[in-house]
Amino acid sequence: MTAHSIGATNAPVVRAVPSVWRRLWDANAGGYLFLLPWFIGFLGLTIGPMISSLYLSFTNFDLLTPARWVGLDNYTRIFTADPKFAQSMRVTLFFVLFSVPLKLAFALCIALLLNRGMRGLPVYRAIFYLPSLLGASVAIAVLWRQLFAGDGVVNDLLAVFGIEGPSWISNPRYSLWTLIILAIWQFGSPMIIFLAGLRQIPQDMYEAASLDGASKWRMFWKITLPLLTPVVFFNAIIQTIEGFKSFTPAFIISGGNGSPINSTLFYTLYLYQEAFAFFRMGYASALAWILLAIVAVFTAFSFLTSRYWVHYEQ
Amino acid sequence: MTFSIGRREFLMGSTALAAAAALGGPARAAAERMRLIFWGGQARADRTYGVTDLYTKASGTAIEGDFAAFGDYWPKLATQVAGGNSPDVIQMDYRYIVEYATRGSIAPLDEFVGNALDLSDFDADQLEGGKVDGKLYGISLGANSAANLLNVAAFEEAGVELPTRDFSYADLPALAEKFNSGNKRAGMKVWSDNSFLEPALENFLRQRGKALYTADGQLAFDVEDAVAWFQLWADLRAAGVTVSPEDQALDANDAIETTMITLGKAASTYAHSNQLVGFQAANKDPLTLINYPRIAAGTGGGHYRKPSMFFSVGGSSTIKEDAAKFINFFIGTAEAGAILGVERGIPCDASTRAAIAPGLDAQSQAALSYVSNLGDLLGALPPPPPQAAGEISNPLLRTKAQEVGFGQLTPEQGGEQFHAEAAAILARAKQS
Repeated sequence: MTAHSIGATNAPVVRAVPSVWRRLWDANAGGYLFLLPWFIGFLGLTIGPMISSLYLSFTNFDLLTPARWVGLDNYTRIFTADPKFAQSMRVTLFFVLFSVPLKLAFALCIALLLNRGMRGLPVYRAIFYLPSLLGASVAIAVLWRQLFAGDGVVNDLLAVFGIEGPSWISNPRYSLWTLIILAIWQFGSPMIIFLAGLRQIPQDMYEAASLDGASKWRMFWKITLPLLTPVVFFNAIIQTIEGFKSFTPAFIISGGNGSPINSTLFYTLYLYQEAFAFFRMGYASALAWILLAIVAVFTAFSFLTSRYWVHYEQ
Repeated sequence: MTFSIGRREFLMGSTALAAAAALGGPARAAAERMRLIFWGGQARADRTYGVTDLYTKASGTAIEGDFAAFGDYWPKLATQVAGGNSPDVIQMDYRYIVEYATRGSIAPLDEFVGNALDLSDFDADQLEGGKVDGKLYGISLGANSAANLLNVAAFEEAGVELPTRDFSYADLPALAEKFNSGNKRAGMKVWSDNSFLEPALENFLRQRGKALYTADGQLAFDVEDAVAWFQLWADLRAAGVTVSPEDQALDANDAIETTMITLGKAASTYAHSNQLVGFQAANKDPLTLINYPRIAAGTGGGHYRKPSMFFSVGGSSTIKEDAAKFINFFIGTAEAGAILGVERGIPCDASTRAAIAPGLDAQSQAALSYVSNLGDLLGALPPPPPQAAGEISNPLLRTKAQEVGFGQLTPEQGGEQFHAEAAAILARAKQS
């Protein structure tokens, strides 16, 4: 290796360096080889594009002419003179704030129902998981349009009760809620994780509690929920990140432009518009980095507060 | 053994000869492969590939075609051009031709005119539309014009006569009153709410003697024009002429399938003449087309014959002459014309137009006759829109129209904000 050539000029320092690498290599050569395909992909398809996106966020770049350095202009504009940034942030925060807790609550309810040792559990579990597999697809978004249109199934059902519903997806007062309901409907993956978490809770705790005469309700609040908080925490973080990244349903349901009146202009949708409808790649890159920062702040905040409400055993 | 040629063989042979002649003879070997990219749906792709197959047979050049929906097309094309992987033949829009030409992403074709490209029978106004700074960058594949599509059956059932070419916006409330009292279809109105459509606004402005943009890319209308536009539609809405804002918002991305006429919510919808073919395919009721209403009796000049789309040659293409020959085949031969019909608009080559006219179905005939007989409705072709016009058309105009429609803004506020924000978008594009 190169140790010889370098070692000849500066022996005492360099001898230690190759020996560390050497030892790492000798011990794990097979592992590194297996890691290599992933590592090449990670460098070429993730780190590389991220670095160029960071660079582009300080430029004006429209794909056809070379990128031009503009310093912090993109960021300044985003924070001081871009009402659509503010609007898309409002829409996204509203979506995350409502869809994540509601989805988790719903997933937990279903998991509790399924956790009562019923027969055919795998079948039910699979059926309840199905929407999560389909939910982010274009077909479901198109279906959602049909369900929540003025003459859709939802209004047909409401008509049975004598209620004349609006066209939910095309009314700016309700359109975002149809997307929140779609997100809640995809409760499958948190449900599966909740189910696994519920299985981990020792049965003897419930036995002891019932001997003491605790009600089911009390057992849920005093045993189930506290012992489940690590799973709740995990699900909350994953779903929050998913919520910020949500794109396809809004793109399809709003026709790609956040219609009506920007009421469904998700952050990712705005980012997409800037990049691929108006060809402001630099500006869109800056938006992407701001999204990364926001998600990081939310996640860090969750971790910092977690020690006050997440209970680990022992 | 006797040697005889039947009528069929003779026709085929002479066609091949004519094609060979059109291709400029065997002086130079033709390129082996050529790449073509266009936007459109499956119907357009089928027609296009029908022609490329013919061309491959005649010339030996294999053509790799690729297509996408309009919205997806531009990112795809821009990415290919930016990556140094530009297709040889590029379908180009009037909205983008200046941008691509000034950046050298498409090539001037003047050197091929008269040899590879025979444009002697080509409509002068359509040829002019493909020029940027006096040089020819795009060959128009068809002329079209803005048109209002009408559901003939719905009008007949309601016992209301179809609007005529002299119809004005002032006549609409009376028409709606008749339509609403005679209408048999639940929830159907006579008119779509077209306040969000750029071509509709442009038509209105042109009849007022204004335009959307000046030749140097500035706004060519005033705040009061924009206010008048939103006021016009607010009045029509109040008079029960148009569909509800909620219904209109279902039409979120200009797809034929979600327009008010296809959804059965309105008896008419604004579109373009070449789209009659596509709309009819998606509608059960028979459709026809008429001009946009006049803003007052006797005003005209709102319409123009727009090059619906062009073929251009990639700026970095190494086989520009072959590409020009293909374009010539595409626009200038009767066989290609017969396959293409008027789906991309009315052919601009007079001989092609004459050759295909007898074989057209009733719908295509109607579109052809509409574009050919605009008369006093016809005005001059406006200059190509500035770079940022797409953003002003959608989402800005759409959003402001919806805000006024849902009552979040008055027409005055809508007009003022639309004008101010459009100007800001233009200024930002100039700056970058």
